[in-house]
Amino acid sequence: MGSVSIRDVRKSYGSMEILHGVSIDIADGEFVVLVGPSGCGKSTLLRMLAGLEEITGGEIAIDDKVVNALHPKERDIAMVFQSYALYPHMTVAQNMGFSLKLGRAPKEEIGRRVAKAADMLSLTPYLDRYPRQLSGGQRQRVAMGRAMVRDPKVFLFDEPLSNLDAKLRVQMRSEIKQNHQRLKTTTVYVTHDQIEAMTMADRIVVMHDGVVEQIGTPLELYDFPRNLFVAAFIGSPSMNILSGKLSGNSFITADSSAINLPFIPASTNDETVSLGIRPEHFALDPNGMAAEVITVEPTGSETQVAMLLGGHEVVAVFRERITTRPGECLTVKLDPERIHLFDGQSGLRLGQD
Amino acid sequence: MSDTTLKLKRTGMPMPLVIVGSALLVLVCLFPFWWMGLSSIKTLRELYTIPPIWWPSLPTLDNYRTVLFESNIPRYFLNSVVISVGSTALALILAIFASYGFARFDFKGKPALQSFVLIGQLLPTAAIIVPLFITLRVLGLVNSYWGLILVYMIITLPLSVWMLTSYFRAIPVELEEAAIIDGASRIGVLFRITLPLSVPGLVSVLVYAFVTTWNEFIFALCFATDSSVKTLPIGLAEFSTEFNTDWGAVMAASMVMTLPIAILFLSMQRLFVGGMTAGATKG
Ligand SMILES: Nc1ncnc2c1ncn2[C@@H]1O[C@H](COP(=O)(O)OP(=O)(O)O)[C@@H](O)[C@H]1O
Ligand SMILES: [Mg+2]
Repeated sequence: MGSVSIRDVRKSYGSMEILHGVSIDIADGEFVVLVGPSGCGKSTLLRMLAGLEEITGGEIAIDDKVVNALHPKERDIAMVFQSYALYPHMTVAQNMGFSLKLGRAPKEEIGRRVAKAADMLSLTPYLDRYPRQLSGGQRQRVAMGRAMVRDPKVFLFDEPLSNLDAKLRVQMRSEIKQNHQRLKTTTVYVTHDQIEAMTMADRIVVMHDGVVEQIGTPLELYDFPRNLFVAAFIGSPSMNILSGKLSGNSFITADSSAINLPFIPASTNDETVSLGIRPEHFALDPNGMAAEVITVEPTGSETQVAMLLGGHEVVAVFRERITTRPGECLTVKLDPERIHLFDGQSGLRLGQD
Repeated sequence: MSDTTLKLKRTGMPMPLVIVGSALLVLVCLFPFWWMGLSSIKTLRELYTIPPIWWPSLPTLDNYRTVLFESNIPRYFLNSVVISVGSTALALILAIFASYGFARFDFKGKPALQSFVLIGQLLPTAAIIVPLFITLRVLGLVNSYWGLILVYMIITLPLSVWMLTSYFRAIPVELEEAAIIDGASRIGVLFRITLPLSVPGLVSVLVYAFVTTWNEFIFALCFATDSSVKTLPIGLAEFSTEFNTDWGAVMAASMVMTLPIAILFLSMQRLFVGGMTAGATKG
């Protein structure tokens, strides 16, 4: 059992405030990913949760018990560091059993729990090796094993995969996910990689400059980004943003071409708005808008085309194989159901109602 | 990756030249020791022969007998051991805690304190010898083991603290944080993580402090006034009188004095080798 409640948490270093009031509720057993660009305060928040940083303001509770003043070892959490932080002078088995040994667990129990975790992580053949004798992926597993052995209320991960090569990263991603499905331990996972967030999370917390921009399931964030930042951050290639004006039920681009809108936003203070459309929501249509092709990148399964549309450079992804060259013209249509509108000033999503 | 030693392509000097050069260097460094050993088994007459003889016709252990059974050297040896071991142990223990504090905690006045630690090291011996003597006299420690132990601790501590501080700083903080999350206390972290990973640093400090105190002359001369406290360097000097010097005995005593240092170095050699944190972090 391990729910986590973060209420209006603030962090300052000296006079500089890094986190400006963050509130997140995490249910027991949930896999929550904190994602955001580098320097937005994810690690700081995670370290406050772990008890490695003082909490300047607000409250953090684990299982309804406020832990602000508790030492890390009293919080019943385990953490996997970006650099793994394996103890170099201990074998894999000793690394994994270290916390149990400190907790004065009987030798047989340490052995049993280490063996079980090692088995889950396919580390059994390496138990007597030292960290320097392991590959990057194996070290990563040992770091996870060290956390799993303790059976804590909450797992904390700080960018655990960023030191691995791309292929191993994908593999470890699904291993972590599988382990979570087996253990069902509440997990808070920090990454700057939105693909990692999308593929692993039950819920994603998007952070930016010390504030939470949006919390939601991966598809909620994808389909209904609350503001321009989330819209541009989630998804790859990222959402195309065109700025222009509203006129009747059309959107007028910078070069005065009109795009029909499926709805008229209820409230706009200003008539300048931003229109967002994801690359995969373009379709070839003889009656569509003209777009000049800039580059074509076929990947086999799809074709990515950068083109000039309404005075903006946009990226479109087509499932069909299209043969076109830079300089040629395509006629494309925007899927009206998939158009997002954002307020020109606040960047907030403009609703339909 | 740390366990794959990169083999760079050899460039520059050819191998034989390197070997000859190294051999020459070793020869130059070891010559005084060889001469010391040789002189200690020569008879008095052979010592003064010109040109010097390279191997005595009649090697003798007389000098050693004089030193071991007819002089104060054995007692001085004991004094030296007690004082050097005592001050080295004390300096090491204090340096560990001071350095850990400097390396890991931020507190008001840390830079100033760190500089002050070094200032003690910068003062010339001649400048502090009188104040130290007065202090020791007030404390009633002149001519006592404790007096010399404390004095030696004072002169070896500053550099020990600086050496260890930089060693501790080089250990990744995440290792200590991981241990704290695993449930270790600060002291637990220090003894279970930081110190085991600092063995080369600890050994350097130990050897530095021991050798410094073992060889120290001026303070011992001033603060130890009778044979119950005098150390080996003083003992060596006592073979010289106003009228003559028993060089054979001096050489034999020097051999006796060198032995513990040689043993210390040889036994610790393996531990000097760095790379203790290999594999701790990254892929
Ligand atoms: N000890 C510190 N002192 C001052 N500023 C810090 C300290 N640690 C982190 N910061 C600042 O806090 C911000 C957030 O850092 P961090 O949480 O590490 O970001 P992230 O993990 O999202 O990349 C950064 O701008 C960083 O410069
Ligand atoms: Mg970070």
